[in-house]
Amino acid sequence: MSKKTRRENAILASPMVLFLLAILGFPTVLSIVYGFSETSFETLTRPEFSGLANFADVLSDPTFWQAAWFSLRFGLITALLQCALGLALAVYLAPLVERHGWTVAVLIIPIMVAPAMMGLMYRLVLHEFAGPLPHYLYAWFGTAPSFLGPAHVFKTVVLAETLQWTPFAFVLFLTAYQAIPSELREAAAVDSARPWDVFRHIEWPLMRPTLYVALFVRFIDGFRVFDNIYTLVGAGPGGSTTSMSIYIYESFLRRGEIGKAMAAAILLFLTAFLLLAFGQRLTKGRTE
Amino acid sequence: MKHLSILRGGVAALAIAAGGMAQAEVTVLGWPGGPEEAALRAVTEVYNAKPDLAEENKVELLFTSRDGFFDKLQVDLAAGSTAFDVNLIATYSIGRYAPFMEPVTLSDQAGAVFGDTVLKTMQFDGQQYGVPTDLSLHFLYFRQDLIDALLADDAAKAKYAAIAQEHLGKPLEPKAPADWTWEDFVANALYFSQSVNPDSPTRYGTVIQAKNLLFNMMVFHSWPRSYGGNWMDDAGNITVDSEAYRTALSQAKLLFDLGATPPDSTSYEYAEANAAYASGQVAAMVQWNAAASELTAAQATTGTTAPPAGPDGKFTHIHGLGLGLNKAAENKEGAIAFLQWLSTEEAALAYAKAGGAPGLAAETAAKLAADRPDLVQVGEYASTYGFVMNGGTSEKALSVYEAQAKEFTGYWAGTQDLDTALKNTTAAMTELLK
Repeated sequence: MSKKTRRENAILASPMVLFLLAILGFPTVLSIVYGFSETSFETLTRPEFSGLANFADVLSDPTFWQAAWFSLRFGLITALLQCALGLALAVYLAPLVERHGWTVAVLIIPIMVAPAMMGLMYRLVLHEFAGPLPHYLYAWFGTAPSFLGPAHVFKTVVLAETLQWTPFAFVLFLTAYQAIPSELREAAAVDSARPWDVFRHIEWPLMRPTLYVALFVRFIDGFRVFDNIYTLVGAGPGGSTTSMSIYIYESFLRRGEIGKAMAAAILLFLTAFLLLAFGQRLTKGRTE
Repeated sequence: MKHLSILRGGVAALAIAAGGMAQAEVTVLGWPGGPEEAALRAVTEVYNAKPDLAEENKVELLFTSRDGFFDKLQVDLAAGSTAFDVNLIATYSIGRYAPFMEPVTLSDQAGAVFGDTVLKTMQFDGQQYGVPTDLSLHFLYFRQDLIDALLADDAAKAKYAAIAQEHLGKPLEPKAPADWTWEDFVANALYFSQSVNPDSPTRYGTVIQAKNLLFNMMVFHSWPRSYGGNWMDDAGNITVDSEAYRTALSQAKLLFDLGATPPDSTSYEYAEANAAYASGQVAAMVQWNAAASELTAAQATTGTTAPPAGPDGKFTHIHGLGLGLNKAAENKEGAIAFLQWLSTEEAALAYAKAGGAPGLAAETAAKLAADRPDLVQVGEYASTYGFVMNGGTSEKALSVYEAQAKEFTGYWAGTQDLDTALKNTTAAMTELLK
């Protein structure tokens, strides 16, 4: 890249960089200051530097590790489920979508609903006495599982997240699927290739980079989940549905442990950043 | 040039209006929605209509949303917001807000109107931080038709005794709910649960709202209190790891394990628990007094009495909502005048008639017996059975409830044992209340 090109790039990028600094810079700096300080609501304007004490507090807190484990499991399982279902739907429904483009708009309706609203909706739908699902299960089978009870709550929140965000993965895979040159499929048809072989040897390799992107986007989104779980079941009995974001929220606003909450937020950010960097490297390695 | 003049004129008008607004009223941040808002609006109209009230001291109400209300209020107060002169406070959060508020002197009538127990719900470190406007406590709600049928049927009584013998180790007999101990409450819950008694007319004997939520601990802790439990002793030692808490927690756990409360109730809060009772599939429950009209409307044979007794007697958690003075208030004089008036009998009666639920002393409540008989019951229970745990108004009281909610719900849901739950609770409370 020439010196002139670099200068032009810097000039062109500067408005966006300045915008990001203005919007994100202040809260970021404040979070870092609070993360390294003894701060409460009474001392918001005069935090006292406490070094790494907040980080030590966070790392020695069993609830933090419980939340981290929950987020990791939740992020991984939901990302895998959404990508598997999204990919299957994209491949299966591609011919239909090609003829009736409007079907995509119908299929992606769930992602247009605010996650918090989705949580509230499930809270109503799954309630044993007010919800239609348990009502009909009782009417037809004389029993219904306790969807939000301790035994099933994790499966329920995973299912709720999967149902809402699978359409996102579907759109990504559909776009990738539709971008595959038709000549390749036509050439395979001339060679009498079966549909499974076409998928396995032509479509799948070409869609793999999209899979990595989808997996990472969905994993990060699942890892930092907050709204739908919080409105549906809160932190869960014994903290069993406490995600990292819920842990930070409760530390900050419910317990007033501002420094500790900010330290946890910084750790969450670093984890997400490292995972993203690792993912990008992995994706790059697989696609080169 | 003409446009510039118009612009200047507009800006000046806005500045005057804004300046005028800042000084022309007492701004009150109230509890949004529900009867509290309706009642506050009604008394504000009465106050603003007073002929001797200066224009700059008229009251303007401000309402936001209940969602995250106390969290937002915390941030506003900490930031020194001048958006309101008077703000809502609650018994369990006074200590948290006290650094950003000023104590108030109430009217001479306040003691007679509310009584000491209720006034204490608005005190912190011996100082009065607010006027009590609404009082919350707990009732035992039960289906009178089911109890009557049980008491009239000898075979049912025998079955009840057998169930009590099997699960509680003693052959208890059915009683009227007003005479229940917590053991009777458990026995009744088991008898009316189809998982224990397939012939039960209801699916569940009770519903315990056990979401990991601080308010649910308020509903629960009358139970250990009646066994003599408390948060701290007089020396400041944490005392939750006690026989009282162990007994109450174990009895509740028995109800979860035997299916006497809906299995989803570990995700229930107020609304879900009410919906369960309203469906007709629950025989009895302990719930806030605010649910009385809703539950009675849903199940016409609903009766109410004070929560069951333990060896130390009957107890009900009480807490109040009230209004206090923001330290950063811009119109302190007007705000104090409004708060003092709010603590008079005239204001308390107007507030109650408009649907509010003030905790009134017996003599004052008697004046409302025709309009609001429920307030007589609330006042009586508050003064007879009301309690606040040691440390219940401290700065970290809400966090204590949070810690208990996390640990106790974990025990009930089976994610940890009782010893671990109590050990963790003690550790958390020791840190919070040190």
